[in-house]
Amino acid sequence: MADTVLSVQNLTMHYTTRKGDVSAVDDVSFDLEKGQALGLVGESGCGKTSVAISLIRLLPENARILGGHIYLDGTDILALSEPEVLKIRWTGISMVFQGAMNALNPVYRVGDQIVEALQTHFPDKSRAESREIVERLFRVVELDAAMIDRYPHEFSGGMRQRAIIAMALSCDPQVIVADEPTTALDVIVQDGILKELREIQDELDMAMIYISHDIAVIAEVSDRIGVMYAGRMAELSDTVTVFRQPRHPYTYALMSAFPSIKGPKRKLATLPGEPPDLLEPPPGCRFHPRCPRATAECRKVPPAFEDLGGDHFVACYHPIEESNG
Amino acid sequence: MAKYVARRLIQVAVTLVVFQTLLFVILDAQPGDITNLYLMNPKVTPEARDMIRANLGLDRPPLERYVQWMRNALTGNLGVSFMHWPRSVVDVVLERAPRTIFLFVSAQLLSFTIGFVLGKQLAWRRGTPFEYGNTIIGVLFYTVFTPWFGLMMLIIFGLWLKILPVGKFLDPMLWRQSQYSDVTANTVFYGLIATGLLIGLITAVLLIATRNVIGKKQRNLRAAGLAVLGVVAVVAWALSGIGVLALDMLHHMVLPLIVYTLVTYAGSMLLMRNTMLETLGEDYVMAAKAKGLSDKVVRDRHAARNALLPVLTFLVINLPFALSGGIITESVFSWEGMGLTLLQAVQNEDIPLAMGALSVIGILALIAHLVADVMYAFLDPRIRYE
Amino acid sequence: MTTQGLIAPVTEPLWRIRLRLAWRGLTANWRLFKENPIGLIGLGIILFFALMALAHPVLMATVWETRVYDPIIGYDDQIAVHPAPPSARHPLGTDPLGRDVLSQLLYSTRSEFALGLLAALVSVVVATAVGAMAAYFGGIIDTIFMRIADVVLMLPFIAVLIVLTALLRFELIHLAIVYGVLVGFGGQTIVVKSQALSIKIKPFIEAARVAGGGHWHIIATHMLPNLLPLAFLYMMLTATNAIFAEAVLSYFGLLNIRMSWGIMLNTARVSGYLLAGPDYFHLIIPAGAAISLLCSAFYLVGRAMDEVVNPRLRKR
Repeated sequence: MADTVLSVQNLTMHYTTRKGDVSAVDDVSFDLEKGQALGLVGESGCGKTSVAISLIRLLPENARILGGHIYLDGTDILALSEPEVLKIRWTGISMVFQGAMNALNPVYRVGDQIVEALQTHFPDKSRAESREIVERLFRVVELDAAMIDRYPHEFSGGMRQRAIIAMALSCDPQVIVADEPTTALDVIVQDGILKELREIQDELDMAMIYISHDIAVIAEVSDRIGVMYAGRMAELSDTVTVFRQPRHPYTYALMSAFPSIKGPKRKLATLPGEPPDLLEPPPGCRFHPRCPRATAECRKVPPAFEDLGGDHFVACYHPIEESNG
Repeated sequence: MAKYVARRLIQVAVTLVVFQTLLFVILDAQPGDITNLYLMNPKVTPEARDMIRANLGLDRPPLERYVQWMRNALTGNLGVSFMHWPRSVVDVVLERAPRTIFLFVSAQLLSFTIGFVLGKQLAWRRGTPFEYGNTIIGVLFYTVFTPWFGLMMLIIFGLWLKILPVGKFLDPMLWRQSQYSDVTANTVFYGLIATGLLIGLITAVLLIATRNVIGKKQRNLRAAGLAVLGVVAVVAWALSGIGVLALDMLHHMVLPLIVYTLVTYAGSMLLMRNTMLETLGEDYVMAAKAKGLSDKVVRDRHAARNALLPVLTFLVINLPFALSGGIITESVFSWEGMGLTLLQAVQNEDIPLAMGALSVIGILALIAHLVADVMYAFLDPRIRYE
Repeated sequence: MTTQGLIAPVTEPLWRIRLRLAWRGLTANWRLFKENPIGLIGLGIILFFALMALAHPVLMATVWETRVYDPIIGYDDQIAVHPAPPSARHPLGTDPLGRDVLSQLLYSTRSEFALGLLAALVSVVVATAVGAMAAYFGGIIDTIFMRIADVVLMLPFIAVLIVLTALLRFELIHLAIVYGVLVGFGGQTIVVKSQALSIKIKPFIEAARVAGGGHWHIIATHMLPNLLPLAFLYMMLTATNAIFAEAVLSYFGLLNIRMSWGIMLNTARVSGYLLAGPDYFHLIIPAGAAISLLCSAFYLVGRAMDEVVNPRLRKR
């Protein structure tokens, strides 16, 4: 693979709760190349955020990674010791958080919080050097340099998001994970932020992972899309193919659910049922209870995540046939 | 910031007025002539009684009495004490005040520091035997009956081990020696308070000046600064000639201080634990961890700093209760501060002194409240701009 | 199109449903409460003391002769020197006035409970009433109550109570009521008022209004259940502090009560037996330990309630 920056293989993770173990991520695999933007999309609870926090091993106390590998530039993150993980956080993979409203500590100045990241990973840099870097970053995200010494509550929502992006860029990471980067923003600001992210990515040849439940957002910024369902990855391919030629029944249902402004009028197609309870996930393919194409095979053994040709991965025994157009 | 302080000052003034009014209501609700209480006291002549009656305006209608009362309060005329006739209440109270202030402030600082440090640990080690053990021990100390506990400590340390004195705040034999004959207790107290204030101020300046230094260098700088400060303080006292007296007072202060701290630290400890747990769930803590900061840095610099704020609020709200605790401690150890004065005044039915002491205690509580509010505004930038 | 056939008709009477929901709420809260051993320990101690309180009248009616074992006027003339050390006849010995210490201890338990719970109840009633009024009326009434709360908050209760004892003759019930009222006007009122206000503006209140609910009905069925766990928490804390306050005041001889744990310590104090050595520990340890234990029991229960009331503190 040319320039694969991140390779996730068979990642499996669960949470231990009062009621039992929740299988949040099961056998998820994908690769990410330099300069590529991968979008992870799915309903709430499908495991996309769990995948994100597993990447930097930012797991809560009751979470456990049961298996798999995460290769960042050849090194398996899951095999690293605690102190080593601290080093690759932010310099290897950084995050733009969901609900970035609160990702900034309210009692410290915004600039100081970025400098903190710099000083932690590059202690040899002087404060003046760090500050210069922050000024440069602010310029990149189109924030006024005067805001560096202000407190988070003095920033508007969109400005805060830009500051978070600046912070994520600060240590020159190889991968940036943006978890619902625009969910809390109004549509116009959202548009601006997405454009900016795309620009930054192109300029810096950055590898990015976008996570959202909003497929419109994902479509706008991603080169490839991974569709997740109930902790597993259902389909993974480039954006156009996922939209035009979805082969997993779930993806197909998702795409059908979108009314088209230009296309013919039709009844709103919905997917009956609900995502399964991950405490006791259904055996076999987790989508089978809702799938119109399910057979006995689907109910017994989970389908393998296979390349059906042209880097188009699907986990299904009865993928939808390829059509033309 | 200035506007915030100004607004708080006005609030304090209003509260003071309401407070004084309430005191008046309580006092005025007494049936009969209060000067009748003086009948028992042989030191009080009938002429003096008339003077008091006129002073309080007892022969005039209620509204005029109220005005008189407020006017008295404003001019600092709180009446004359029976027990210490003919000394005025203000005189007696102000004599006792520094002792209370010194003991109380030191105890509060110590209690809060211990509570803060332990509370942080408790939140981090949630669910472990460490947490349960410390919680139970803390609660036991918190709810133990203070006079009884103080008594037990007195017995252990004062009578059995004989390493700490059994009461009062100084050793008369030591003080009676000729070279100290013109030094009053309050001189030493004022000196100690001044020292405490200076140390506090310089420490604050030190902490602010080094806040942008990172890591080990910061820790070393601060430790060095504090060490120098400590040495200078000790040397200054040693050279002053009355250092021995100060030492004596501090020696007497050890037991009340320990008792008071033990009986109160759990309050801030348990609250700190709660607020830490809440703070640890915040997004910015996760963001800090994601940045690659070590657990310790995340805990101290990000979580604890925010968890600190509600605990400060608690301290302020809890101040009156803390003052009560201080009063009890003073009584048990015969520490002649305002608490003991209040108690003795009531036991001897010296109403003016009792009311006066209560007034001053209330005013002190308000001042402490104001100081804490300003400090809070300093620590939480969001408040400053309201 | 009607909803017939899509919604099953409700056959249970409304009160039965409400009861079931209330019961479910209670068991859910109990389950959360149970998780924390601290709360259970506190509850256990309270039960232990309750048994002690019940034991006294039983003992007085059966095994103990009134003449000797009455906690206030009893006197054992079979022993020469009082206070006597613990013996078979007097498991905790006798006090300087010849009265059995254990009897005093058990007898006082009743009044301590009564004091704590009465003060707690009064404080909650006052706080709820004042807070609700402040929230409902707003304006000048709100301001007055909040200013009073400010002053109450800054007062050291013990100091105020000490001064009040000089002006009034306090018996146990007076103390309970005065203490409850004092506490009720303080910080609790502010919390109740803000709770009431926040609930008042919630959407489901408007929905209830639209559905035809009267104002008091809304307060009773919607606001109160939300305020109950918090109120219970405050009650526990008020009980602790009330018992503590009484003990302090009695210890300094400022109250007009005939027998309580504080009075037991006061008796020891004025008779000069406080620092008299281990032989006389039976005069100070039982009473002091009892006060401390009961206070800590209420406090522990209050703390465990804290976890029930504040969901952010719960373990996952």
